[in-house]
Amino acid sequence: MTSDNPKPALPARALFGLRLAALTVTILGGIILTQVSQIGTGAGFIVVGPRVFPKVVGVGILILGVLFFLRTTIVLDNDLVAEVASEEAATDWRTTILSLLSLVAYASLLHPLGYTVATALFFPVIGRILGSTRPKRDIVIGVALGLVIYLAFTRVLGVRLPAGLLAGIL
Amino acid sequence: MMDVLTNLLHGFASAFTLQYLLLAALGVTLGTAIGVLPGIGPALTVALLLPLTYNFDPTGALIMFAGIYYGGMYGGSTTSILLNTPGESASVATTFEGFAMAKSGRGGAALATAAIGSFVAGTISTLLLTFVAPVIARLALLFQPADYFSLTILAFMSVTALVGKSFLRGMISLFIGLFIGLIGIDVLTGQPRLTFGIPELLDGIDVVVVAVGLFAVGEALYVASQMRNTKEEILPVKSRVGMTPEEWKRSWPAWLRGTLIGFPFGALPAGGAEIPTFLSYTTEKRLSKHKEEWGRGAIEGVAGPEAANNAAFSGVLVPLLTLGLPTSATAAILLVAFQIYNLQPGPLLFQKSPDLVWALIASLYIGNVMLLILNLPLIRIWIKILAIPRAMLYAGILVFGTLGVYSISNSFVDVMIMYAIGVVGFFMRRYGFPVGPTILGVILLPMAEAQFRRALSISQGDPSVFFTRPLSLGLLLAAAAAVILPYTPALIARLRRKPVEAGRVVFGEGQED
Repeated sequence: MTSDNPKPALPARALFGLRLAALTVTILGGIILTQVSQIGTGAGFIVVGPRVFPKVVGVGILILGVLFFLRTTIVLDNDLVAEVASEEAATDWRTTILSLLSLVAYASLLHPLGYTVATALFFPVIGRILGSTRPKRDIVIGVALGLVIYLAFTRVLGVRLPAGLLAGIL
Repeated sequence: MMDVLTNLLHGFASAFTLQYLLLAALGVTLGTAIGVLPGIGPALTVALLLPLTYNFDPTGALIMFAGIYYGGMYGGSTTSILLNTPGESASVATTFEGFAMAKSGRGGAALATAAIGSFVAGTISTLLLTFVAPVIARLALLFQPADYFSLTILAFMSVTALVGKSFLRGMISLFIGLFIGLIGIDVLTGQPRLTFGIPELLDGIDVVVVAVGLFAVGEALYVASQMRNTKEEILPVKSRVGMTPEEWKRSWPAWLRGTLIGFPFGALPAGGAEIPTFLSYTTEKRLSKHKEEWGRGAIEGVAGPEAANNAAFSGVLVPLLTLGLPTSATAAILLVAFQIYNLQPGPLLFQKSPDLVWALIASLYIGNVMLLILNLPLIRIWIKILAIPRAMLYAGILVFGTLGVYSISNSFVDVMIMYAIGVVGFFMRRYGFPVGPTILGVILLPMAEAQFRRALSISQGDPSVFFTRPLSLGLLLAAAAAVILPYTPALIARLRRKPVEAGRVVFGEGQED
């Protein structure tokens, strides 16, 4: 996590990322506050209505976001910047984004293909993305996982999972 | 005193039934396995199992969950010692001396002192729990809504202030959790809040979705992003797993001190086992007669923290069972497990469900014995688990994480929300935000809001009730103290006009999973 070299590798990009994170937090606070007015107050008299906590949380996030933005600009948190910069230098965005995309594809295919087939496909794919070099083994594990989980969940534990393509067979 | 013993005997009678023994064994085995595996911890495991255990008998399910938590504490030491990578945050302190011992060929002794120390500490602290918890439960009957609200504030403040590198980032993490906790229909008035017009959000976001997103997906994406600069080697254990008489002699006092540090710190609302393990580490280092060995494998440096982390687990159960207050992310998930079975931990739990409470406590004694067997004679099996390739491990975590969320209601939207929270978790790790406070915020928000409303309707809208009740005031002052505490060394240095070394003391990393 911590970097040993005193000179951060990419301070500019690290700073940009941190400021963006601070802005996102601030904007989230703002969005919550705009939503508060849309919360109905409910009928009857209550001492603490349903708007109080959302308002407190919204204001809190807004203030914390601004404070964090200050830590990335005027009162710079040098340790944090150095840490993020060293992480930035080592970041493999391709792997990260491919992992996320394969997850989304997996979730979308669960219903149409069924749990077993989707899992049998997903496991070797994500394994490959994460650096596995033995595709045959991964396919075997994926098929086994998909089958065993599907049968154990639907037959033994009584949890519903989509059968999909294998509806007539399993 | 006598009624405690009778209750405990009843508990043992019920815990010794075959079904509960099997569930305890399953729990501790699973717990040890996930403790050994990096990237997956007890909080995530229990969260994943929650949807599967809806139809379980509550006592059996909770015995299994406690076993998982406990086993995770034992198993974490193995990875710390052999891999220099802590399996759990509570095992970070063990890595310093443990890995050094393994490198100099004394891995067997390090594993032995960790396992036996965990057993000694676990047994003593379960004894403490047995006798302390009923007393606190009786005291807790005095708690009124105002006091409960102040208690949640204390939990929020101590977790964010004492754990993690930055108070500000801890607070942001906490508030994100509070925001997620607010989403859904307000219980009191039936008004939808912060649902952004999405009907799936009306029921709120399930804790399982948040926990799996933050812990499993967030962690997996983070590991994927850092794939290029991770190289790990597993040190082989050539020596016998056991200790020489000299090592026994040096381990004993460290175990006992570790237990005494771990139990009370676990019971305080400060994030579980992380702080006491570091505290035990520094205590042992200061007291050691073999200062030259530190950094090269001093056995006290493994014995103390490992005892502390197991003692802290029993400590964590004290506020959880008696006040319904979780002090760590894992404890927060356990609280959710109780709530699924319509059980509200708190002072009344000991009166309403004594069978469950005492069977659970008795199962801790039994689980401890099981864990000693699992971790001493059978240790080599767990070392084999370490050889699972990283790619397979994280692929498996993602499959089980998706399964855990999808099996709740076969909902694509739930899975997408979980992935979105995973992306948030990824950026939180990347920018140094602790994720523990988020989970605590999600789970404690309903309690904080309900007690706040109750307190104010009792006082007819007068907010001074939080400051006029001595108990509530005391808890709020303690919360303030927790925020100020990390800054005191710097303040004192400034008052003495000495150069300030560190602005703020850091007690732990706050990366519990």
